[in-house]
Amino acid sequence: MHLTAWRRRQIAGWLFLTPAIAYILFAFALPIVYNVMLSFEETSPATIGDFTAPFAGLANYRFILNDPTSTAAIVHTFEFTAGSLFGQFVIGFALALLFTVRFPGRTLGRSLVIIPWLIPLFVTGVIFKFLFQLEGGAVNQLLVDVGLARHPIDWLDNPHLALWTLLIANIWLGVPFFTLLLYSALQDVPVEVKEAALMDGAGPWQRLRLVIVPIILPVIEVTFLLGFVFTVKVFDLVIALTGGGPANATQLITTWSYNLSFQQFSFGQGAALNNVLLLLAVICAPLYLLLSRDSLRRSSGAAR
Amino acid sequence: MTHLQRSKTLRWLCTLATAAALVIVLFPVYAVIVGSFESTQTLFSGTYYWLPHGATLDNYRTVIQAQSGHVLTSLIVGVGTAVLALIVAAPAAYALAKYRLRVTVILVSSLLVCQIVPSIVLATSLFIVFHWTHLVNSYPGLIIADGTYAIPFAILVLRAFFFSLPNEVMQAARVDGASEWQTFHRIVVPLARSAVITVAVFAFLSGWGDFIFALTILSGSGIEPITLGIYTYLGNYSTDWGAVMASGVFAMVPAGVMLVAAQRYIASGLTAGSVVG
Repeated sequence: MHLTAWRRRQIAGWLFLTPAIAYILFAFALPIVYNVMLSFEETSPATIGDFTAPFAGLANYRFILNDPTSTAAIVHTFEFTAGSLFGQFVIGFALALLFTVRFPGRTLGRSLVIIPWLIPLFVTGVIFKFLFQLEGGAVNQLLVDVGLARHPIDWLDNPHLALWTLLIANIWLGVPFFTLLLYSALQDVPVEVKEAALMDGAGPWQRLRLVIVPIILPVIEVTFLLGFVFTVKVFDLVIALTGGGPANATQLITTWSYNLSFQQFSFGQGAALNNVLLLLAVICAPLYLLLSRDSLRRSSGAAR
Repeated sequence: MTHLQRSKTLRWLCTLATAAALVIVLFPVYAVIVGSFESTQTLFSGTYYWLPHGATLDNYRTVIQAQSGHVLTSLIVGVGTAVLALIVAAPAAYALAKYRLRVTVILVSSLLVCQIVPSIVLATSLFIVFHWTHLVNSYPGLIIADGTYAIPFAILVLRAFFFSLPNEVMQAARVDGASEWQTFHRIVVPLARSAVITVAVFAFLSGWGDFIFALTILSGSGIEPITLGIYTYLGNYSTDWGAVMASGVFAMVPAGVMLVAAQRYIASGLTAGSVVG
């Protein structure tokens, strides 16, 4: 029996998709569903080998709400994310604007500025731990030598400072992402628009606020959304830099969930905390779908 | 001031600002490299030396002895992740771009959602699922887990590229009697070389630099990538900074190589990954 060409192509298409569908089901769908199941189970070190443990009702969620470290981790995650996005956007946008000007060293600057983004996150954390040491750390050495601080500052072991140190490290590594995306969006702003604004006598600040930002707004939105999604997941950096300490001052949802599951072997509680994180991520999903469609339509209509 | 003078001043200010930014960007990298050649006395002297202060290869000797196995492990994991990402992503991306299938919209949307899912959520469940399927403490297990960084991204980037291929290319191959599979791997994949390299570079770097899955899925087994190797040097009370710095340099080598060899692909990949169709 001969298959029609259309039929044959449908079959080929499905065969091409099979590995990806299998992978998504095994590595994404199964863990997500299983994570929800785990959060309703009363897990213990003895049940790790089993696929299921006794039903626990809402006990794990009740634990999360009443556990001061869990609630603190949720608050830290929000503070850390808001601070990171603010810093990364301000610096990243400034650099992106800078690179649109023609000046000596522009190409070199643009190609080297992505370096932080290429270094494994864990290694970045280790490097910052080295730089922010109390004694013999480059940052304290600089501050004391220049006279900005009289004594070395305890960046990592002072509970009031450690989250700021973490924030500085995360801003450092996240700026390239904002710079590159915003720079490529700025490249797409039509020259005629900028010239027209100049003709109308708009100053640099007015041109930026009234002409350029509205045009690249869709890209700014997508960048913020992706930045949010990346930042709530941060884990490697924290483990390397502070390990969640001192006194849980830098404990984020991710690190405390790791601690609950893999150090206290309370996988059920860890999974419940995971679901808080998952909820944050899932809220972003429809927004992301909407925005990425929107920005694609606009950018393809404008300059390309 | 004339207009010309002003724009000249402006340009020099821009150069200055870029130089300042590059100092901040490059200093940590400089500090690791210099630190990796310092003696233990210097590193623990309580003073930071801005310029190299005596040079020793001791740290590298220690690290090569202790970590060369870990470097090999990271290489295997990185290459494995790249291979898995290409095998899974390339055909799927092609089907999602060039075949009219009913699942396309659902699958593309779910890939976007997959990119959002935090690794700790996957790691917690995969640890138990892998226990159950005997994938804990194994290369295949770790590579499958590391694929979660690269595969959704790989499919979306490759799909965007396949979209830009004219349909006539495939029609010509079909008229010549090529099967769907032959058309794909003899005609389409070679044309997509640059996108394939982008995806492979990204997948390699994500497998090479992974920490969270190595930490959770490999629990005290013989397999230990370089990130875990460095982790063991970070003691609670004292850190062997010389060894940490030298292994840090090893861990950054692929990034350096990619920066020189595949820069074009990295920049385009970063942008492509975030604007999706």
